[in-house]
Amino acid sequence: MPERPPPEMVTITIDGREVEVPQGEYIIKVAEDLGTYIPRFCYHPRMTPVGLCRMCLVEVETPRGRLLTTACNTPVAPEMIVDTESAVVQKAQEGILEFLLINHPLDCPVCDKGGECPLQDQTVAYGPGESRFVEEKRHFEKPIPLSDIVLMDRERCILCARCTRFSEEVSGDPLIEFVGRGNQTHVITFPDEPFASYFSGNTVEICPVGALTAKPYRFKARPWDLEAIESVSMVDASGASISIETSQNEVVRINGIDNDATNHGWLSDKDRFIFQAVNSENRLTAPLVRDDAGNLQPTSWGEALDRVADALGSVRGDEVASIGGANNTNEEAFALGKFLRSVVMTPHIDVQVGDALNPDFLVGITPRAEIRDLDRAATILVWAGDLKEEFPTLYLRVRRAVTQMGAKLVVVHPRRTGLDDLAAAKITYRPGEGPEVVRKLAAGADADYAAARELLTAGSVTALIGLTGRAEDPRLAEVVAAYALDLPGAKVLPLARRGNVFGGLDMGLAPTLLPGRVPVTSESGRAELESAWGPLPDAVGRDAAAILAGLAEGEVKVLLLVGADPVRDGRNPDSARAALAAADFVVSFDMFLNDSNQHAAVVLPVDGFAETEGTVTNVEGRVQKAYRSMTWDRLVWGPERDGVVMPDGPGIQELQYTPDGGGVRSTAGRLALHSGRVLYDAGTRNVQSPALAALVPDPAVYLHPRDASALALTDSQVVDVTGEFGAVRLPVRIDATLAEGSAYVPANLESTWMLGVPDVVTIEASSAEEVAE
Amino acid sequence: MSAASVIADWSAPNQERARRLLETYPEERSAVMPLLYLASLEHGYLTSAGMTQVAQLTGLTSAQVQSVASFYTMFKRDHVGRYLISVCTSISCYLLGADDVLAAVETETTARDGTTSVDGAFTVEHVECIGACGGAPAVQVNYELVEGVLPEKATALCKWLRETSPDVVMTDAMQKSFGGVRSFDWGIGEEQGAVAPVPAFGPYGSTGGESAR
Amino acid sequence: MSFPLILTERMTAHPADSHRLDRYEATGGYETLREALGAMKPEDILEQVKAANIQGRGGAAFPAGIKWGFLAPAEPRYLVINGDESEPGTFKDRQLLERDPHQLLEGAILTSFCIGANHAFIYIRGEYPKPARRVQQAVEAAYAKGYLGQNILGSGFDLDVTVHLGGGAYICGEETALLNSLEGQRGEPRLKPPFPAVEGLYAKPTIVNNVETISNIPWIVANGGDAYAAIGDVDSVGTRMFSLSGHLKKPGNYEVPMGLTWRELIYEVGGGIRDDRELKCWVPGGASAPWFVAEHLDTKVTKDDCARAGSMLGSGAVIVMDDTTNVVAAAHRIVKFFAHESCGQCTPCREGTTWLERILWRLLNGAGRPSDIDLLLDICDGISPGLAWPPRMTTICPLGPSAVSPITSIMTHFRDEVEAMIPGLQEVAHA
Ligand SMILES: Cc1cc2nc3c(=O)[nH]c(=O)nc-3n(C[C@H](O)[C@H](O)[C@H](O)COP(=O)(O)O)c2cc1C
Ligand code: SF4
Ligand code: FES
Repeated sequence: MPERPPPEMVTITIDGREVEVPQGEYIIKVAEDLGTYIPRFCYHPRMTPVGLCRMCLVEVETPRGRLLTTACNTPVAPEMIVDTESAVVQKAQEGILEFLLINHPLDCPVCDKGGECPLQDQTVAYGPGESRFVEEKRHFEKPIPLSDIVLMDRERCILCARCTRFSEEVSGDPLIEFVGRGNQTHVITFPDEPFASYFSGNTVEICPVGALTAKPYRFKARPWDLEAIESVSMVDASGASISIETSQNEVVRINGIDNDATNHGWLSDKDRFIFQAVNSENRLTAPLVRDDAGNLQPTSWGEALDRVADALGSVRGDEVASIGGANNTNEEAFALGKFLRSVVMTPHIDVQVGDALNPDFLVGITPRAEIRDLDRAATILVWAGDLKEEFPTLYLRVRRAVTQMGAKLVVVHPRRTGLDDLAAAKITYRPGEGPEVVRKLAAGADADYAAARELLTAGSVTALIGLTGRAEDPRLAEVVAAYALDLPGAKVLPLARRGNVFGGLDMGLAPTLLPGRVPVTSESGRAELESAWGPLPDAVGRDAAAILAGLAEGEVKVLLLVGADPVRDGRNPDSARAALAAADFVVSFDMFLNDSNQHAAVVLPVDGFAETEGTVTNVEGRVQKAYRSMTWDRLVWGPERDGVVMPDGPGIQELQYTPDGGGVRSTAGRLALHSGRVLYDAGTRNVQSPALAALVPDPAVYLHPRDASALALTDSQVVDVTGEFGAVRLPVRIDATLAEGSAYVPANLESTWMLGVPDVVTIEASSAEEVAE
Repeated sequence: MSAASVIADWSAPNQERARRLLETYPEERSAVMPLLYLASLEHGYLTSAGMTQVAQLTGLTSAQVQSVASFYTMFKRDHVGRYLISVCTSISCYLLGADDVLAAVETETTARDGTTSVDGAFTVEHVECIGACGGAPAVQVNYELVEGVLPEKATALCKWLRETSPDVVMTDAMQKSFGGVRSFDWGIGEEQGAVAPVPAFGPYGSTGGESAR
Repeated sequence: MSFPLILTERMTAHPADSHRLDRYEATGGYETLREALGAMKPEDILEQVKAANIQGRGGAAFPAGIKWGFLAPAEPRYLVINGDESEPGTFKDRQLLERDPHQLLEGAILTSFCIGANHAFIYIRGEYPKPARRVQQAVEAAYAKGYLGQNILGSGFDLDVTVHLGGGAYICGEETALLNSLEGQRGEPRLKPPFPAVEGLYAKPTIVNNVETISNIPWIVANGGDAYAAIGDVDSVGTRMFSLSGHLKKPGNYEVPMGLTWRELIYEVGGGIRDDRELKCWVPGGASAPWFVAEHLDTKVTKDDCARAGSMLGSGAVIVMDDTTNVVAAAHRIVKFFAHESCGQCTPCREGTTWLERILWRLLNGAGRPSDIDLLLDICDGISPGLAWPPRMTTICPLGPSAVSPITSIMTHFRDEVEAMIPGLQEVAHA
């Protein structure tokens, strides 16, 4: 990989010590790296310095004499002489603290930040003794909610502009801003326009005082009671580093950890607050078995496990199948895979739930990009789901690459995405017509795509490729990837969304893959594994869809659902339900009851996120430890331990560029369905987290204005949306960002999932006024 | 969203002015302040709806526009009377009796500093230096300046405003009737002035008369 | 006293209509432009401005020619004329805008030609609608006559001029705050570097000059830089507009050559103290400047002489106070101004100026404490360490330290009057 040239070093003197430091780095950073902590409030290493709080003043020798200057925005220069602790500096810092405190309420005993408050800490370390301020303090109305999640206490705010900068610069939704001037300045939203940002929780975390607080944590614990452990967020597969903080054996808070490889410390609110599901009242606590009357009843572990063992023992190995496992650690996935293949002797294993890309593609693409490649890319191609909805921290990373690192962005999607405002070129296409787009991009003739093509051939390309929606033909992604890999300096990051899906694939939870990305069809690979595990089935197994079909046909009899809900997440809810009903025996491992496992014979409660320990593999293939503060570069499963060797290259044949891949879908008068996901969905964990449940948007069908008028439909009108697998009643939203001839239905909301994922839908005005729940 | 549909409730000339303002600057955001004046002119003061309209015209969030507007003292985010009386109480005017002028204005208008009279005729405010120090004490009516306004003259000025309720207030005309010492020779008078508590300036359309060129 | 005039000659000779284009042309207006566009190259104009050695008239007195020379090569470039004039006591730009807008425009066109700008902005404070109207009318008239727009006077040079009104914020006079304001942002000063000449409006190279500075350019180009430099004193050259206000017999704007004494300026130009009372003190360069007292009357009115005496010429505002003045109340008014006008970014300025104002208010209302004198000075020290002149700063821009000037002034010259206001203090001092 072409690394950036190392920065030039310059010699400076800090506090009498001569040191070599990278030119252009800010004094505050250089000093910190040398072990000298310069106090600060507004400086944040991941945001542009603004030099507002003036806490970081140091003295620098200049031709005009010794000058006080802010260390947070002054770059080091050759021969610079810096004094961070002179009497002048100390007096200035004391002064700043006194100024900050005169209007501060000093309500530390009742403040959530008390105990971990930089203002409190620095007052102890650098502050004056007693306040000489005898006037009345500045008053604002007590805490006011900025959103359903975040509250603002303006009296505590020290106007460091971290929250406003984050919103404007990092997340790109400037909804909280400075208002007023001078001594009356405060931070607030616009009346009736809440701080509805997917990333609002970050402002709470970086607020250096207790001005911004988050409802889920308010008054929950005192910092000194907290135990923090390092872990990995499993909301999506980006591998965001987090710190899980518990008090009295209960998770009370999640904060981000600055990991340069992944999330830079930022989290989506879903990453941050979904832990509430772990604490949910509705969690399963005891094993459930179905009684004679057909009801699930709590029972003992012994009885429940006996039933499962009996069921497994009563059928042939290849009559057993397993769906799911993406919420598990690599170790759990490995154990599950080994059990299924070498004990049960079944090849029918799929970590994905039938809404997925070819596993060989996901793990086999090469060269596979790292997230960090985004920082160096000349052009970024995003042809995938809406990252803001599906991969929020990755979205921030792309945003940063474009707004701060000069990358140009090309977005291809059937509808407007969260990244469109930043895109130098955007291609909107009708679902089903993706192959046409690839053909035109590759052929280099179509004037429409000239801008995109120019950007894509201008310099090194990092391509993020996945399914734009669930109705998309999965093979399209492979075609797009094959096209992208022909671009200059191209690397591809294949996107699948679920937490540890890549770990699951690496551990062999796929019908075509053995652990270590070894194809089932590889004789030598299998032989090597058999030497450690004993005999293994040699067939390629069924994927999730084929497993469900097999259940319906009676060829598969026993099903393991490992944190999976195929009724909701598959393509056709009715047939999934029928398949489950046809099974001899379904055992579900889950934290909650859901639409799939309420028909199971046995439901086994499992540990949730934050309760298990192990490793997790993210979208780049990066293996990270959940629970211990370190980032492993790559996990190697040594043969001496488990008989698995990670291959160097892809274990699959080269992907071929087949312009017809997937084919162009005929819609014949009906609308092509775009079935994308939204961040706040009706999924169980989201709904079980009170902070997030309120944010789930109302379901609707989105139509292009011309299609709506052709159908004589108006905004908000109630329609019946009918597809191959069912119908659902939804209000219309007019949406000019859609490709004409398509309809967008967010896939993962209450009621919309019942539509399933047909290729095309018809839309008719409904006679009923009300939308069905 | 088209500019026209965002400000469909504005007068046709102001819609046209808004369109021109958006074209005047190399970047649209620069039009925020002039548009805020237009929105104030349209709605009598800067309403939330006005800020949202300006946000839509310039591609900002309403919160960003509110942030900008609230930085400046001339974007009034509350009801303003028909006449905004601004009494300078900064140093030079203070030295020549501005506090007495303010008191006289408060008494005559029945509006305390920072408030609007019950009848909605006057909003009174004290302001920092308005660049009329050579003609202290100075006041402005809808930002139209009168210099050398001693307390009795200030009382008379407010009385006149209440009694004649002029549609347009003009700096030269008021100076002639109510002013005194001036900062410099003003030359020939202007035939134009303010129609609302918004600075009367061509692009904002509140000059109330054709330019006397 | 009468002096040769540069800026105010036309308005003095033609008090009624000096703002009109016909009058401007009839008195030689736009001749310089016509000649310069025909015969001069941008470098020639720069040379003359450098030779003129004119110091900026907005407050910082930085030589204009040198500033123009710093311009970065990137394009486009902009000229921004600072007509925000909000420093208490200052009203000279108002007269130049209102009474001779074409002089400013001709200067703007010459300057833009010199620096390679095709768009110039005139930022006028919002409280100046009449000056803005006059300038806007002048701009329209100039477009109509081909002095602005495409291919000016057939020279191939294009220039657009936009008049922009502020919204009521003194800080927008600070050049980078002005640029933010012009970009449609809060008028908060930017961190420097980068300076506007490198990254200014829309992050492009930008020259920001005061109205008076630019109004001098036509004369300098017409008569040559050397002729300009020959007027006035050794290092502070040319004429300057002084805004005289306060307890004077003849307040107003006066254009005088640099290098008079303060005595001449106050007693001859300004007519002396009203009712022939005693002079107590004066603020020499706008509210930000440390005050002078009688002992400074024979100091020369130049940049260097005033700096040596511990103050500055600043914006050219002279606020004179006679012996009836309560200096604590006067200082309070000025500090109150800065507290009101602080943008709020920097902690010391935002919190310090308000704190100072409230302590002074307490003093004025009989609730002073003996510790207040030290406290006031200590707060000042927190804003401007060492209380030196020129001020050191803990802030981004000099607004905060400006609020320190009146306090150090009264403490230096009238400490007994301050102490007399604090109950119990003098008894303690004498005990
Ligand atoms: C707080 C503050 C207020 C200022 N106000 C003004 C002003 O109203 N007008 C002005 O021309 N310059 C003002 N200045 C100076 C400008 O920053 C800048 O130096 C000047 O406009 C440059 O023009 P000049 O070189 O022609 O003087 C101010 C500076 C500060 C720090
Ligand atoms: S709310 Fe917190 S983060 Fe935001 S400006 Fe205030 S102190 Fe800084
Ligand atoms: S940390 Fe440097 S000014 Fe705030």
